[in-house]
Amino acid sequence: MLNLYLFQILNGLGLGMIYFLISVGLTIIFGLLNFVNFAHGAFFMLGCYLCYALLAATGQFWLALLAGPLAVAALAWGAEKLLIRRVYHLPHTFHILITVGVALILQESAIMIWGPIGKSIPIPEALQGVVAMGKFAYPKYRLFLIGFSAVIGFLLWLLLERTRFGALVRAGSESTEMVSLLGADIYKLFSLTFALGVGLAGLAGVLSGPIRGAHPFLGPEVLGIAFVVVVIGGMGSFGGALAGGLLIGLVQSLMTTIWPEGASLMIYGAMAAVILWRPYGLFGRA
Amino acid sequence: MVPLPKGVWGGTTPAVLAILALLPVAVPSATLATEILIFAMAALACNLLLGYGGLLSFGQGLFFGVGSYLAALAMIHLEVGLVAALAIAVAAGAAVATAVGWLAIRRTGIYFVMLTLALAQMGYFLAYTLSKWTGGDNGLLDVPRPPLALFGVELASLDGAYAYYAFVAVLFLAVYVGARRVIDSPFGSTLVAIRENEARAAAVGFDTRHFKMLAFTLSGAVTALAGALYAMLINYVPLDNVAIAMSEHIVIMTIIGGTGSLLGSLLGAGTLVLVGEVLSAIWPRWPLLLGVGLILLVMFLRRGLWGGVESLIARYRRRGEAAE
Repeated sequence: MLNLYLFQILNGLGLGMIYFLISVGLTIIFGLLNFVNFAHGAFFMLGCYLCYALLAATGQFWLALLAGPLAVAALAWGAEKLLIRRVYHLPHTFHILITVGVALILQESAIMIWGPIGKSIPIPEALQGVVAMGKFAYPKYRLFLIGFSAVIGFLLWLLLERTRFGALVRAGSESTEMVSLLGADIYKLFSLTFALGVGLAGLAGVLSGPIRGAHPFLGPEVLGIAFVVVVIGGMGSFGGALAGGLLIGLVQSLMTTIWPEGASLMIYGAMAAVILWRPYGLFGRA
Repeated sequence: MVPLPKGVWGGTTPAVLAILALLPVAVPSATLATEILIFAMAALACNLLLGYGGLLSFGQGLFFGVGSYLAALAMIHLEVGLVAALAIAVAAGAAVATAVGWLAIRRTGIYFVMLTLALAQMGYFLAYTLSKWTGGDNGLLDVPRPPLALFGVELASLDGAYAYYAFVAVLFLAVYVGARRVIDSPFGSTLVAIRENEARAAAVGFDTRHFKMLAFTLSGAVTALAGALYAMLINYVPLDNVAIAMSEHIVIMTIIGGTGSLLGSLLGAGTLVLVGEVLSAIWPRWPLLLGVGLILLVMFLRRGLWGGVESLIARYRRRGEAAE
């Protein structure tokens, strides 16, 4: 029985790290650009499909893990230059509208290329099987998922806290105008940040591919979960995205042993509870 | 020029009456005309929140779905008549919307939008989980369309497409006139005041949360009515009725039409339903074009179609004056 809970806790950590990667991207973009990306889930979905396509074409998971997120980030970089930057000055409604448009285009393109039925993605050969710890065995790929996303999370933290780019992003989140007046190329910073945030969603998509497969209608579901995480953790907060992501991942995973049908439902229950208890989120400011 | 009559029967109401009379002839089928009115009703309710209250709600699909499911379940399991089924849907929609509003208005701005979307998604999973009642992925089948009856006296059968259109048109007109009255009332003015400057409205002494919640209640009631009518139209409640895509659909119609004008909602719903009908027959991937359309709208037509019509009229008038 204890092993079952340990199993679900590890599953929850893996799921939580995926949610963290998605949400931290959303939150970085919002923090600096004050822009809500409703296409975030669609970019995640694209990451899943790129994992499928690159694996099918080359058989190299490591290549998919590198090239998939980069391709998603490159696409986001182009979309930012072409469309997104033209609407920064408009109210949020227009941010939402234009990114809903982008999401629709991505979703329908995915259906045109890969068909309306989802694809399952094989677990890469090197990561198949289980790791035995005494009596307890756990799938190797899921352990890799937890470890790899933890490393990515740490690198991201280093990038944001210890580099000039990170300093600019953090300063820009406080006052875009000041950073711009101090001579930083704010538009370049915007493009890079948008690409980074969306790239993280793409990375999460590639990583979750071998577990959940790829499906054209994943976008809205993932977007909903990212919003829950961000509402819980507080927008624009790295720690909030991590705590919120892990909390939601664990709640969802533990609920599958208690009430399988209601697992997806419970994460929204958790969100409602946090809102009633702390309206600005666990780490948010008013 | 003869001055236009004031009040709810003046202004744009005659134009709506004309549209209601012409619509079933102008579009390919009465069923399509009915669908336009149903979604126009939902867009109207969304417009009340967004255009007048400044509240962008992605919970509209939830209210729509609640109306669909509850009206259908009441008719199937309780064997209630048409009016009772619609009343149940309206009451349930109002109740759910009040609850969503109560939670969501604790936050403002983008958090508010995200909360409404997350709560709507919760409703989707609830409908999915309760598959014994809702049919889950397969949808709720065999939804009846009972005759119009009052106190046990049957007044009219609604089986014919035109009869049902007439019924929906009368309800739409009632909603339209009702919405105009609400907007012209002190409540409507207060809502606009909150949209323009919430801090100021609060400082003047208005309980802004109370007003926002009431706007939600009204919007939810009307959206649920639309949902119930839609279930009776297609005799079926697909799970899609309560999905995020439905919320998006309603919000898109409202914004395409133009916020802050009730006639715009009718225009937006009509355009999207018609274009969808025509294009989906030719190309099943037509939402891609809708995506492109949304981007173009944000770039070039920010006040929506109705805003475009207004500026055309203004230009025409100016030219007329110059000619005189």
